Amino acid sequence: MAERPMWEQVGTSFVHLYYQRFDSSRVELSALYTDASCLSWEGQQFQGKTAIMEKLMSLPFQKIQHSITSQDHQPAPDNCILSMVVGQLKVDNDPVMGFHQLFVLKNISDNWVCTNDIFRLALYNFA
Amino acid sequence: MGDKPIWEQIGSSFVQHYYHIFDTDRTQLGSLYIDASCLTWEGQQCQGKTAIVEKLSSLPFQKIQHSITSQDHQPTPDSCILSMVVGQLKADEDPIIGFHQIFILKNINDAWVCTNDMFRLALHNYG
Repeated sequence: MAERPMWEQVGTSFVHLYYQRFDSSRVELSALYTDASCLSWEGQQFQGKTAIMEKLMSLPFQKIQHSITSQDHQPAPDNCILSMVVGQLKVDNDPVMGFHQLFVLKNISDNWVCTNDIFRLALYNFA
Repeated sequence: MGDKPIWEQIGSSFVQHYYHIFDTDRTQLGSLYIDASCLTWEGQQCQGKTAIVEKLSSLPFQKIQHSITSQDHQPTPDSCILSMVVGQLKADEDPIIGFHQIFILKNINDAWVCTNDMFRLALHNYG
């Protein structure tokens, strides 16, 4: 007993791969998206693999390292997987910052690809 | 021009409605969920409307107020809506704390219901 549900296995593997590629060679993230993928990066919307990769490759830092604090996975409608990540990141010599990200994964031709990606830094109103 | 896309209109309305009910009387959140809904609350999984309302009603605070810092909405591959909220909350006399929540909304018989809900406080490893 105690085998993790499929969505947790797939979600965890994807999250691990995503940040590994992001931190070492983000050009390789391209394989994770399709032409129907949507990315919202700090409120800016991008549609499709090409536009998404253009955005990610143009982010203004040399080095980045992500550290995952928590990840949650659920099965979503129509056999997709929903993954939510809370963590911290360090860019170049900037201070460590919190971030929030979510992914929707869909199985297309036996590959799990990311159809939806939303990223926000953990910055608040301090209201 | 400048009409917001439908997924943004629906997502925004849902988010506003959800936190309004949560902050005034969270026992009334039941109508937003169905028996197939999944909630992950700080890593704990709940399945189905009854279990979800039970979990939310039993949270150990009297007063709560949510303040939304940002919200992002996207259409998903199968005509669902994905919403991500970053904000702050204050429960009873506790200090203000950041939170992160996501929702997947699905249209069932002309009503938008929440099939997936994930909530995490913005607490980090400080690693």
